[in-house]
Amino acid sequence: MIRANLVTILVFLFIGAQSDSFSFFFMIGGGFALLMISGVLDWWRFLFKVEEGEMHIKRGIFVRKDIYLTKDRVQVIDISSGVIQRMFGLVKIDIQTAGSTSRAAMIEAVPIETAKEIKKKLSKNGTVEEENTEEQSLRENKIRYGLPNKDLLIAASTSGRFGIALSILGTLFSQIEPVIRESNMFEYLFSLLPAQTDTFMIASIIVVFVIVAWLISFFSTLFMYGDFSLEVSKDEMLISRGIFEKKRITIPYKRIQALYVTEGIIRQPLGFCSVHIHSAGYGDEQGSGSIVLFPLIKRDKVESLLEKVVPHYDISLQGIKPPFRALRRYIFRSAALLTLITGVLYWFLPLSNWIWLIPLLSVWWGWLKYNDAAIGWDDKNVIISDRTLSKTIAIVKRDRIQDASVSASWIQRFRKLSSAELHVASGDHGSSFSIDDISESDGESYLNAINSKLLVERKLPAAHDTTKELVSLPGW
Amino acid sequence: MDKSSSQKLAPSIIGVWRWSSAAGYAFLVGIPVAYYSIIGSRGIHFWLLMALAFISLALWITVVFIIPPIRWKRWRYSINQNEIDLLRGVIVKKETLIPLSRVQHVDTRQGPLLRWFNLSSVTISTAATTHEIPGLDEVIADRVRREISTYARLAEDDV
Repeated sequence: MIRANLVTILVFLFIGAQSDSFSFFFMIGGGFALLMISGVLDWWRFLFKVEEGEMHIKRGIFVRKDIYLTKDRVQVIDISSGVIQRMFGLVKIDIQTAGSTSRAAMIEAVPIETAKEIKKKLSKNGTVEEENTEEQSLRENKIRYGLPNKDLLIAASTSGRFGIALSILGTLFSQIEPVIRESNMFEYLFSLLPAQTDTFMIASIIVVFVIVAWLISFFSTLFMYGDFSLEVSKDEMLISRGIFEKKRITIPYKRIQALYVTEGIIRQPLGFCSVHIHSAGYGDEQGSGSIVLFPLIKRDKVESLLEKVVPHYDISLQGIKPPFRALRRYIFRSAALLTLITGVLYWFLPLSNWIWLIPLLSVWWGWLKYNDAAIGWDDKNVIISDRTLSKTIAIVKRDRIQDASVSASWIQRFRKLSSAELHVASGDHGSSFSIDDISESDGESYLNAINSKLLVERKLPAAHDTTKELVSLPGW
Repeated sequence: MDKSSSQKLAPSIIGVWRWSSAAGYAFLVGIPVAYYSIIGSRGIHFWLLMALAFISLALWITVVFIIPPIRWKRWRYSINQNEIDLLRGVIVKKETLIPLSRVQHVDTRQGPLLRWFNLSSVTISTAATTHEIPGLDEVIADRVRREISTYARLAEDDV
């Protein structure tokens, strides 16, 4: 068994220092020593080895945990290196299997060579015998796609991370705000600005907020997707990205659960979109298994990219649109609540008539949603496109569908409409794609299509006979 | 769904549903009581109270006595070598297909209320979702579980 590198102590230390369970003051007053000890113990008790395509990790100070991972079950291998790790030439390797129990199978700090070794041993064909030939064939078939600087800048400035940045700012502001208020900073600012009215003041604060939020989202995207490359080889692909925290994610093609193309509201008019995939590994901290396949690409180039990278996913598949009678419901759903709220606000507050632009926009939004909704299928894939704010086109291979359902509410039944939904495995909870208000017959044929595919595809082995003893079931 | 091959739930599940919604919606009866104790029943409030009592009682009777039989009538499931098909719902009708090759595990569960009625529920988990067939006779539930796991074992795919 190999012990993780000694520097792990340091890494554990830093990670431990970030945890919420130790307050800052506690840490200063002697908690530091405790962390040091637990860091050393953690490191001392952490053992791992890889043999015969199986990874074995032993960890835990008081409760010993033995984790075994076989390479057949590995979904994603994620090698990343933060600033601390990079100072010592180390990387973090994270081996993800389906479900969240594999979260513990993460090695915080190993030398890069060891990480590569582990990756090779756990990759599908990485057995020792065929290592040489494998290496060669990999080199021959490798294609590399990068992200040009211009595209990176566009991606950063149009990223949808705006909302996240705003919420961060909001919390930050609520923390700092009392301090500022007490130090008379507002009065000072008031006297500085030419603003005379409160409305102007509020408006300018909002503008400043938006600009700062945009800057945050700009730089965070820049750092996240800087140095992006996508390497494609025979069985798997390797995505690497990040300026400060480098990430290298290896995904075997067989492990892709779904693929989706997102056209953000700012990006769509410019003709750009991003491509994501779903994996059954847990992905990020939130446990959604979504991985960026390509952060920014011209919409008309998506087809040719996908053809080279994941040829089985054909995005040009035509879909069925919801019937015209569904338009009313689409508009109602997006506009009703907003109109009601606007009406109430207009009644009670002295607002200008311009406020009625909001319901008008929401009607337009509903129309857009109707226009972008579609569902289609052929003998291999199901494609669903829809819009919340940004338009998403999702492609799921039929044999990756975890379940498919069609539902119809009382009103939908009356209007002969139904909603279709399907789930794919992704992260901890799976992910769903759905479309509202397709015609009842389309919904039915969607379920039948998925059903019939199953009947054709599954060839039952001879073991089939064992099922004979299961007599057909009585009613209850 | 092919109606001929589909199964129904045990009829005694209606009783289970009745009891659980009788308890779960007991707060409906509490609404007029709360109204009476806070505002009282003078003048117009008496009639408002009556209306409120009538409405909540009607709702309670609906969920306890009317909905469960309809729900039972609408609930159908069928299991074959390829998929599990669930059809249910009173207000929103929903049909779900679960390919057997995607089933991760099946278990049977029995709470105190179900045990009282000698019923079990079968829970089917995939990598993304969990579905439940709520009320089956204990023996049938066991058999359904075994049947599903036998079929699921035949499928070699992972996730």
